[in-house]
Order: sequence, then structure tokens, then C-alpha cells
Amino acid sequence: MNCQDINQAIVDGSASPLPPEAEEHLRTCARCRELAEALKLRAPADVPSPMVLHEIERGLVADLRPVRPIAPNRYIWASFLAIFAVITFLGVYYIGAFAIDVKTPLQMSAILAALAFSAGLLAYSLMNQMVPGSRYQFPPGRLPIIIVISLIIAIAVLFPFQHEQHFWAKAWWCIRTGTLMEAIAAVPLWLVLRRGAILAPIMTGAATGLLAGLVGTTALEVHCPNLDASHILVSHLGVGVLGAVAGLVVGWAVENRKLIWRP
Amino acid sequence: MELDRWMERYQQADPEAPAVLVSALSPGLLRFFRSQSATPGQAEDLLQDTWFRIHRVRHTYRPGEPVLPWIYAIARRVRVDGYRRSRRIDSHETALEVLPERPVEGEPRHALPVFEALVAALPEAQREVITMLKVGGLSLEEVARATSSTAGAVKQKAHRGYDRLRKLLRSYVDAAGGGQ
Repeated sequence: MNCQDINQAIVDGSASPLPPEAEEHLRTCARCRELAEALKLRAPADVPSPMVLHEIERGLVADLRPVRPIAPNRYIWASFLAIFAVITFLGVYYIGAFAIDVKTPLQMSAILAALAFSAGLLAYSLMNQMVPGSRYQFPPGRLPIIIVISLIIAIAVLFPFQHEQHFWAKAWWCIRTGTLMEAIAAVPLWLVLRRGAILAPIMTGAATGLLAGLVGTTALEVHCPNLDASHILVSHLGVGVLGAVAGLVVGWAVENRKLIWRP
Repeated sequence: MELDRWMERYQQADPEAPAVLVSALSPGLLRFFRSQSATPGQAEDLLQDTWFRIHRVRHTYRPGEPVLPWIYAIARRVRVDGYRRSRRIDSHETALEVLPERPVEGEPRHALPVFEALVAALPEAQREVITMLKVGGLSLEEVARATSSTAGAVKQKAHRGYDRLRKLLRSYVDAAGGGQ
């Protein structure tokens, strides 16, 4: 065994003693011997005082009543996706699906697939964020950023950049309509989320806001016949980004509410 | 001890369960807080806060899932909130970069610092990972779950932490005149 193997053995079996084959190396290597010795846990200098433990137990027992464990992951994931799909459908039903006649089948299917996939990933991440100690496949803090960047690239590749007149006047209607749908979607999403334990409100707020925003973005993609990539980026995807920022601000306020309300 | 069984009984309001869980998990949690640079008083406050938060969200534990990542994910969050409340979080985010004072009289001159003092010299993320691994007895996968990370990232942090500890220990031993 060499120093690297000792490191590996310490990392892999952190709570157990080192394997017997490490002993020979420890005899000859002062650095590894020092590390192994230093990492041996000695009796802790301070243990919780019996009074504190009793106080905790008393507090827990005083408010003890049966609770129903949170629903299985697949139900939570399905709930998020159902909210996304139903509000998008109702939104399109209300404002009309004029983009279907204008966009090519490739443009329509690719952008809708990208949006649906993004919504699925966000729903998956939120589902994990509701339960402490969940297993993560993607870093939850970075996921909203990765999704926004991926969608920007997809839009820039699928649609042409045109210089249209009255850019902001056209953009305003889309932003306003998309934001309204986003606000509507945020309510049921929050109702599902509050069943869980939100340990990182800023991260969860950003992901929830983006998922709500993607409802508006998706409905606008089906509704709006404007094919200008700048318009789609600013006034369709912009709705999603606005949602993420709003969720982030709400999350920050929740996380710092004690500092905000205290002088 | 089958912690997952006791967690299920806790969810079913078995009055024995809180005492069993509190006595089994509190020493590790207190040591976790102490290793994260909390004073004994702060660590006991954080321990209490952790248990009351665990109580509020006990329905989010899924029967059959490992208990330790669930507990330590909550404890980790309580620690961050606790530091934020005391407006001392910034000073705790910075690694000390030096090992603590050498042992007092009565101990051998080359005695190594205790674990808590040793890991205090590490940056926040490495300290947290190594404390969970060594003190909490969590596996790499469990630390990844508790820190909302991946096992690969946790392994990398642990390796970097141990490499840094080797260097710090060597300089500590050399300075104490106990090196080879």
C-alpha cells in the first residue's frame, strides 16, 4: 500500500479501522501514521447534558401524534407534471394555438420536447428537495441555470434572428400573458411543495419559479406565431427567467425572514 | 440499533421512540456541531433546534430509507440557519488554515490535536464532509444525500480534505520537534 491507497482506505471506510495491510505502510510512513492517529476519535470532551436531552425528549413527547409519511416520489413527480400540463393546456385553450400553422413540425416538436424535458427535470429536482437526504442525480442548485442556458441554445438554433419593428410592444403582450399563467401555476405547485420539508428555500424557490414560468413559456410557444428568435428569447423564455428570479427572491425572503423582521 | 424501525414508530407516535432516537443520535449530532466550530452552548442550542425541526418534518421520512442522511440533512440546515441568526456565518465560512495551539502541560510535546481541533483547520465544505464521515459514521453515498451532492463530489472533497490534513499535521509535528 502507498499513501494514495491509505487515503482511499480512509475515505472508503471512514467509520471503520484501517485494513490490516495498511499497518506495514503505517510503520514506514510518518505522514500516514500521523493522519491515521489524528483521525482516531477519542472520547468526546463534551456530551449532551442529561438536562438538555430530557428537555428535548419532553418537547417531542408533548406534541407526539401519528403522522402519515409523505407520498411516494412517483406521485409527487406526477403531481408537478400534471400541474404543468393542465395549466399549459388551459392557457393554450384560452389564448389560442396560432403558432401550429406557422412553425415547421421540426421547430414545434423540438421546442415542445425541450420544454417538456426541462419541466420533467425540474419536477424531479423539486420532488427530491421536498425530502431531506434524497439522492440527487443533478446538482439542484445548478439545474435551473443549466436548463435556461440549454433552452437559449435550442431557441437560437431552431429560430432565425429577425429585426422586427415595435419589438417591445409585441413582447409586452406575451410577457404579461405568460406571467399571469406563471402566477396561476405557482399556487398549486406551492400547495404540493408545502407537504415536504424545504431546507433550502432559495434553491427551491428558483426551481419552482422556473417550473411555473415554463408553463407560460410553453403556452406562448403554442400560441404566438412570431418566429423571431429575439422575441422568443425575451418574451417567451423571459417569462421563465422572471419566474426563477421571483422564486429566488421569495426563497431569500423566507430564508431571511427573521433578519428582515427583526430590527 | 435499527434506527429506521424507531423512526417508523416515532411517526406512529410510539412514546418510547423519541427517547431512543434522541439518546442514540444526539451525541453524534452534538459532535457534528462542535466540529463545525460551534461553542458547547451553541452546539446544544443547535441540537435542540435540530430535534424540534426533525419533529416538525418527521412525516418526510420514508419508511425503509436510511435515517442518517435524513437527520444530517436537517442538522446541516439548522447549523446554517443558526450561524446566520447569530450573524457569524461569514467568519465560519473561512478556513482557519492553521492548526490550533499545541497541547498543554502534561501531554507529550508531539501529541496530535483532537479531531475537532484538527478539522477546524479545513475549509467549510471539506470539514463538513469529513465530520459526517468520521463522526456521524455516514457512508459516502449517505453524505452525498445529506449534502444534496453526488458521491463523486463528496469523495473528491474528502480526498482533498485528507491531503490538506496531512500537510497541516506534518507542519504541526515538525514545529513541535517530533518529526522524523
